[in-house]
Amino acid sequence: MRPMDYIVPESAEAAVAILAERGENACPLAGGTDLVVDLKHAPGNINALVDVSGLAEFRGIDVTDEGLRIGSMVTYGEIMEHPVCLDKTPEVVAASHTVGAVQTRNLGTIGGNLVTCVPSADSAPALMVLDAEVTLIGPNGWRRMPIEDFFVGPRKTILEPYELLAEIWIPKHTLGKPSSFYKFGLRKGQALALVNAAAALELDGSRIVEPRIALGAVAPTPIRAVKAEALLDGQDVDAELLDEAAKIAVTESKPIDDFRASRNYRRQLIRTLTRRVLERSVEIARERQEQGELH
Amino acid sequence: MLVELTVNGESRSANVPPETTLLKMLREHLDLTGAKLGCDVGDCGTCTVIVDGVSVNSCLMLAGRADGCDVTTIEGLATADELHPLQQKFEEHGALQCGFCGPGMLISAKNLLDNNPDPSVFEVRDALAGNLCRCTGYTKIIEAVIEAGEMMGQEQANV
Amino acid sequence: MATRVKDVQTNVEDLVTARETRAPSRQPLAVPIDQPVTFPLELPESEARLRTPAVGQRATRPDGRLHGLGQTQYIDDITFPHMLHAKILRSEYAHARIVSIDTSEAEKMPGVIATLTGAEVPENSFGPTYQDQPILAYPIARHRGDGVAAVAATTEQFALDALEKIKVEYEPLPAVYDPLEALEEDSPKVHGDTNIYTSKVIKKGDVEAGLAASEHVFERRFSTQMVEHVPLEPHATIASWDGNGRVSIWSSLGRITLGREDLARTLQMPQSRIRLIGTVVGGNFGGKNEITNEPIVALLSKKSRRPVKAIYSRGDEFVSSTIRHPFIMDYTTGVDSEGRILARKIRLVLDGGAYCSWTGTTIGKGSILAPGPYNIDNVLVEAYAVYTNKTTTGAMRGFGAPQVCFAYESQMDDIADALGIDPLEIRLRNGFSENSLSPTGQSLQSVALKESLTQAADRFRWKEWQA
Repeated sequence: MRPMDYIVPESAEAAVAILAERGENACPLAGGTDLVVDLKHAPGNINALVDVSGLAEFRGIDVTDEGLRIGSMVTYGEIMEHPVCLDKTPEVVAASHTVGAVQTRNLGTIGGNLVTCVPSADSAPALMVLDAEVTLIGPNGWRRMPIEDFFVGPRKTILEPYELLAEIWIPKHTLGKPSSFYKFGLRKGQALALVNAAAALELDGSRIVEPRIALGAVAPTPIRAVKAEALLDGQDVDAELLDEAAKIAVTESKPIDDFRASRNYRRQLIRTLTRRVLERSVEIARERQEQGELH
Repeated sequence: MLVELTVNGESRSANVPPETTLLKMLREHLDLTGAKLGCDVGDCGTCTVIVDGVSVNSCLMLAGRADGCDVTTIEGLATADELHPLQQKFEEHGALQCGFCGPGMLISAKNLLDNNPDPSVFEVRDALAGNLCRCTGYTKIIEAVIEAGEMMGQEQANV
Repeated sequence: MATRVKDVQTNVEDLVTARETRAPSRQPLAVPIDQPVTFPLELPESEARLRTPAVGQRATRPDGRLHGLGQTQYIDDITFPHMLHAKILRSEYAHARIVSIDTSEAEKMPGVIATLTGAEVPENSFGPTYQDQPILAYPIARHRGDGVAAVAATTEQFALDALEKIKVEYEPLPAVYDPLEALEEDSPKVHGDTNIYTSKVIKKGDVEAGLAASEHVFERRFSTQMVEHVPLEPHATIASWDGNGRVSIWSSLGRITLGREDLARTLQMPQSRIRLIGTVVGGNFGGKNEITNEPIVALLSKKSRRPVKAIYSRGDEFVSSTIRHPFIMDYTTGVDSEGRILARKIRLVLDGGAYCSWTGTTIGKGSILAPGPYNIDNVLVEAYAVYTNKTTTGAMRGFGAPQVCFAYESQMDDIADALGIDPLEIRLRNGFSENSLSPTGQSLQSVALKESLTQAADRFRWKEWQA
């Protein structure tokens, strides 16, 4: 690696200030599982790393009145072990489990994954179906937005210069919402998603309430399949209806042809995975209903 | 920059350029050449070491980040007169062929057994997904890890 | 341990006596046909196995303990005082004439002690069959993996930075990437005036007559892709040229005797002055079979008067080390109504990449094995290896055998499927048995093909799967 300054700031504000002061040649360092690889092979003009991975503002998993707060510098390994995540957001845990392998999950952070903003980011769909929000800190202070708005294009987020992703919030009303995540890669371990899909919904009797579908690796950014969601909203659960929603999800996607898979293959995956995550979410919702009746 | 670590229970330090990875520091500054450079991008797992209780790719971690941490490398498994159960079982099973994946593989396996002494085959596979063995000796490796877990369990019971 | 060696020795004697009466493989192992097979199947031990108790015994590797302790020394684990690190600049084009190389700016870079170009290599060619490959390409680069210059510096990073300062002026030449295109007359030529550099023909019987007499004829093209060995330890070398004019080279190369010959040739010095040390190798899988960067590192050591180490990056490994030959395989097979093969006509085109390397062995083995382990009276195999402007293909486990196996076994399935014959049955009908003649007329001994197939099928309950 080229000679590089390594700076550990004292606080989030300090990190922003240092980045602003050093300008475009400085880069924030999170887990490093993408950035360090890039710096070894295509370093560009980066000559300083501002290590934000240990900042208190970006760390920790807490439950507050608002919901669940996951610091952006929490690693996948930490999410997978955390009792609240295991209990309230099992599909975020499942999505985390599909990222890389043990060693990369112990370095890689959920915030780093979102900021890298590849279309196949595994954590994104699982968070999107839970109506997650993100908070950012930059030279102009803090701001907060739905996670969908954070993604702008392949490897492009809404972050302004010197702005940092601080937290991910999962609102209280979606904690424990029946949800499912499914990733399809060319291998079971260490593979990028050809397609990944997540769904979340509640059942009122047999009526679908607040359905959410999110897909990854099917468009320039992770997307919500809003038309498919609209079809399901308020309808009675029915196998054909779920498949119909899956078909609509295909029309909402713009998958690419590349060396990993053809566009057509990806379309078929989108339909199959969407149907599966919907079916699984319904199954979980029904199990909840049965448990509720028992109590 | 000065980086101070505890490596295999011993305090070590080195003055390294800030861009030095933990792997480079271990190999070139501390002469611990057990962990290997295989792919240099975090895919192959030959550089795996344990930092503060979790296994990481040391080729992707800057040495500066490990400052003050407790690091375990392959050199820290055996004592002068005793192999670690994993080393004994890997040897008995012929689980290492060319041996290049071994240091990383054993460290990943140790990290698994430290947290889960009685893993299922699935759990072993999952724990070793980040360690490639191009000789494809996986069957023997999995057998060795499971038996080492049993052996460690017995040792615990005997204490 | 001692007992085991003794046992084996006695049993070898037993075997020798037994061979006079009957080859072990001729005694079929009884598998009860009338009884349904359940897993795991308890097969009687074969006599051959009983006579060679070492077979099937667990043996520990003599080097296994050091591997587990992390104390095995691979080349990157070895260092010498004042050692330099070398990096190689690769061609910017798949095919180009190098007009000029200017290393002067690179030499001014911090930490740089020596540079090297192809013009400085005493004999700039090597190769196990044809010496058609340059150590560092000059004046023609024939693929993107060709090295064009090298730098030795005090750190790897200094060497990498210096590579960027080397100015190479290229005159791009038309390139050919597809092996079938390379066969055409007007295709760009990689070396000389034809791209075909090795061919092989095997003839047995009369293939056209056999095809004419066949009830059914099956034709299909099969192709396989490039495969890189990806040894976890990349190609690695350390060279140290001493004041007495002798060079010591530590290398991950497998064939050190051949390697020393190649080094003597390329460095133009007697073998007695070259010490080549084969170290523990972190995986080879049939590769690491010829010299690669050893002469470069040796010459950099000579120029810098310091030990020099060069470790391939994973990228170097993919573009510059040899890989498995992709094959394009046209199979025409005639069978009778029972699925017995009467004739098989095969045309193989091997994508050789830019240089010959171990193509001779690959085309030979590939051609001999191409008809498959089947009794066929009429065979014609024509095989051609062609140059393309791509990564050099060379030795990899099997030397062409896996490629043709994919083709002939796929076609056996096609035939079985079309004729409604069980895929196992069609193999048993055609398969080699004791004293079968290979396509080249060799009488085969100790053939246990059918026994192996039957036992394997029983073990994985083939019949139940078919039901």
